Amino acid sequence: MSRKSLVVMQNEFMRRVTSKTFILTTLLGPALLIGFFAVIIIISISAVEDSFEDNSSGENSSLSIAVVDETGVLSARILSQGIGDHALVTADLNSAHEGALDGLFDAYVRIPPEVISGTGQPVLYSQEGRGLGVRGALGGIIEKALEDHLLADRNVSTDVRSIFERVVRLDTVRLTDEGEEAEDPAPEGYMMLGFVLGMVMYMTMLIYGTLILYGTMEERTTRVVEIIVSSVRPFDLLMGKVLGIGLIGFVQMAVWMLMVLGAVILAGPIIGMFIDPAMYDLPVAATNQEILDAANISMPHISVGLFVWFILYFIGGYLLYGGLFATVGTLVDSPQESQTLLLPLLMPMIISIIFLSPVMVNPDGGLALGLSLFPLTSPVPMIVRMTVMDVPFWQLLLSYGLLVLSFIGSMWVSARIYRASILMYGKKPSLRVIASYLRNG
Amino acid sequence: MGSLVLQGVTKRFGKVTAAQDISFEAEPGRILGLLGPNGAGKTTTIRMIANILTPDNGRVTLDGRVVGPWSQEQMGYLPEERGLYKKVKINDQLRYLAALKGIRARESAPRIAYWVKRLGLQEWSARKAQELSKGMQQKVQFIAAVLSNPRLIILDEPFSGLDPVNSELLREIVAELKANGRTILFASHRMEQVEQLCDDICLIANGKLVLKGTLRDIKRRYKRDRLALAYDGEAPFLDAMERKGDLQFLERNEDGCIVRLAEHCHSRSLLERLLETPDLELYRFELLQPSLDEIFIRTVESL
Repeated sequence: MSRKSLVVMQNEFMRRVTSKTFILTTLLGPALLIGFFAVIIIISISAVEDSFEDNSSGENSSLSIAVVDETGVLSARILSQGIGDHALVTADLNSAHEGALDGLFDAYVRIPPEVISGTGQPVLYSQEGRGLGVRGALGGIIEKALEDHLLADRNVSTDVRSIFERVVRLDTVRLTDEGEEAEDPAPEGYMMLGFVLGMVMYMTMLIYGTLILYGTMEERTTRVVEIIVSSVRPFDLLMGKVLGIGLIGFVQMAVWMLMVLGAVILAGPIIGMFIDPAMYDLPVAATNQEILDAANISMPHISVGLFVWFILYFIGGYLLYGGLFATVGTLVDSPQESQTLLLPLLMPMIISIIFLSPVMVNPDGGLALGLSLFPLTSPVPMIVRMTVMDVPFWQLLLSYGLLVLSFIGSMWVSARIYRASILMYGKKPSLRVIASYLRNG
Repeated sequence: MGSLVLQGVTKRFGKVTAAQDISFEAEPGRILGLLGPNGAGKTTTIRMIANILTPDNGRVTLDGRVVGPWSQEQMGYLPEERGLYKKVKINDQLRYLAALKGIRARESAPRIAYWVKRLGLQEWSARKAQELSKGMQQKVQFIAAVLSNPRLIILDEPFSGLDPVNSELLREIVAELKANGRTILFASHRMEQVEQLCDDICLIANGKLVLKGTLRDIKRRYKRDRLALAYDGEAPFLDAMERKGDLQFLERNEDGCIVRLAEHCHSRSLLERLLETPDLELYRFELLQPSLDEIFIRTVESL
C-alpha cells in the first residue's frame, strides 16, 4: 500500500471517528439494542410466569374462574391443585353463565361428562377473551385431574405412577480427532451463536458497505475530485477510502464486541434473576448455575481458534463487500441510482443467511461446503460450520484465499472504473462503457 | 527549475480527439496563458500536464523528466470544476490536501496560517466549507494550489466568480509568485485578464494549437489596421470611402470614430487628407494594436 493511501486512510478514519454521529451510534447502538431485547425478555418471561402456578403475579391479573364439573368427579382434584392466585370455585352451569355475564366471574370452564370417556372436551367461556392467559394452565390442571382420576379408578400403584413423572434430558458430548470426549453445551447454543455471528456480519457489511458506497461518491459529488486526483492515483484514493471507512466499522464493532463480551459474562446471572427456582422444583436458595442447568440454558464457549477465524472472516468479508460497494459507488452519481445495483450485491449475503439452518444441520454436506467456499457467501456459513464441526484446514485455506483474491479483484475492477469515470460528471455509464473502462482502464 | 514542455501531445476519447499534437513550453518566472473557446481541449491538456490523464501520443516533461506521481508533488492545481469537502473545516481540509502533496502537518500548519491570513480568511478557518460563500471557497482552493510551494502552478479560470477586490488581491499574489520564479499556467477565455497577466500565449481551438508565442510577438504579427479618430468638424469623405470599400466603421460617435482600413488603403494618405480638410480640427489619430479578443476571434474564425 502506498504512502498516499495511508494519508487518505488516516484522513477518512480521523474525520469520521471524531464525528458526533460516530460517537453517538457507537454508544447508543448497543443501549438501544439491549433495551429492545430487555423489553422482549421481560414481556415473554412475565407471560411465562402468568401461565405458571406461582404467586408473584400482581392483583390485577388475579382472575375468578368458575368450574362447572358435569362429570362430578374432577372438581375436587382441580380445586386442590389451584392455579396461581386465581380463584377457582365450583358452580352450576346457570349461575356460572350468569356470573360470567354479570362480571362475577372472569370466566368459567364447563367440563362435560364425555370428558371421562374421552369423547368430549372441556370448554372455557369468557367475555372479551378474559382468562385466555390461563387457558394453557387450566387445561394442564384438568388433564392432571383427569389422569389422577382415571389412574385411581384403575387402582394404579404409586410406583407405576412415578414412571409417568420421569423426565429425560438429552446431554450432548462432542468427539474430537484426538479421541477425547469434551463435554459441550447443547447444539442450540451453537446454532444461536452461528446465527448471531451471521447476523452481525450481515448487518456490518450492510451498514458499513453503504458508508463506503457514499464515501466513494463523496469526491465526485462535491467536485473536489479533480484537486485530489492531481495529488493521488485514483487507486490509492479508493484503497485509502475503503480501508479508512472499513477501519471505522472495525473499531465500532470492536467496541460493541467488548460490550457484548461483558454482557455474555453477566448474562447468566441476569437470566438467573428472571427465572423463579420454583419453576424447576429447586430450592429458593439455588445458585445461578443450578438454575441455568435446570433450565437447560448454557452459554456456548467460544474457542480462541474460532474467535481468530471469526475476526479474519469478518475482515475479509467486510473488505470484499466494501470493495464491491465501492465499485457501485464509482458507477453512480447519487445514492438513489445505487439502489438497483445494490440488490444483486445483497443477494448472496441474504442467501448465506437463508441457508444457515441447512448448513448447521448438515455442516459437511455439499451445500455447506459450496457456500463456505464461494467468496460472496463464505464468511457466514464457514463460521457457522466451524461452530458445529472441525472444518478441514485446506477448506479454510482455500475459502479464505478465494476471499482475499476476490477483494483484490474487486478493488482492481473498481479502481479501473473509478479512474475512467472519475471526471465524468452526471453521465450514467452504459454496460458497454463500463466494459471499455475495464479493457482500457 | 519548473520548465514545462509538451511535445506532440495527443489525447483521444473514443472517436473524439480532445487534444491533437500539442507542443509548447512554459518557462519559470513567466505566465503562460492557455486560451481557447469552451470545449477546445484546454482542460484535457491541463489534465495531461497534471498527470490525471495520460497522453496517447507525445510527452509532457517537467524539468526534462516525464510527468508522473513525482511531479504531482511539484505542482499546484486550481481546477475549473471547483469543490471542497463540504463538512470539513477549512484548516483540516488544507492540512489534508497538503498531506496529499507529501507535506507533514508540522510543516503545513504555519503555511496554512500564512495563506489563510493573506487571503483574509482567518475568521473562517475553523468553519466548515459549506458555511463559506462561493468566493471564499474559491480562495481556499487557491490556497490549496499554492500551499506546497509548487514549481508549477496551474490556474484554470482563477478569477471567475471573484469580486473586483479579491480579483485584484489574487492578481497581486500571482504576480508575486511569478517574481519568485514559479512557472504559471493560466487558462481562461477572458481575454482582458490574459492580456493583463500573461507573458506568453497559447491558443487552442478544436483540440489543436493554433497560435503561440509571446504576447508582444503575437500582437506585432497582427497588422495595426484599426484607426481611432477624434476631431471637431465634418469629414463627409469618410462616408464616401466607406461606400467605396476603403474603410469600415467599427464605432462612431459625435467626437469621432474607430474604423478599419482596407488592405489597399494607407493610413498615411488618410491622415494627409484629414489635415487638408478645412474647418476640421484633428486631435486624435491613433493606429490601434489589435486586442487579444480580436486576434482570438479572427484566428478561430479563420480556421
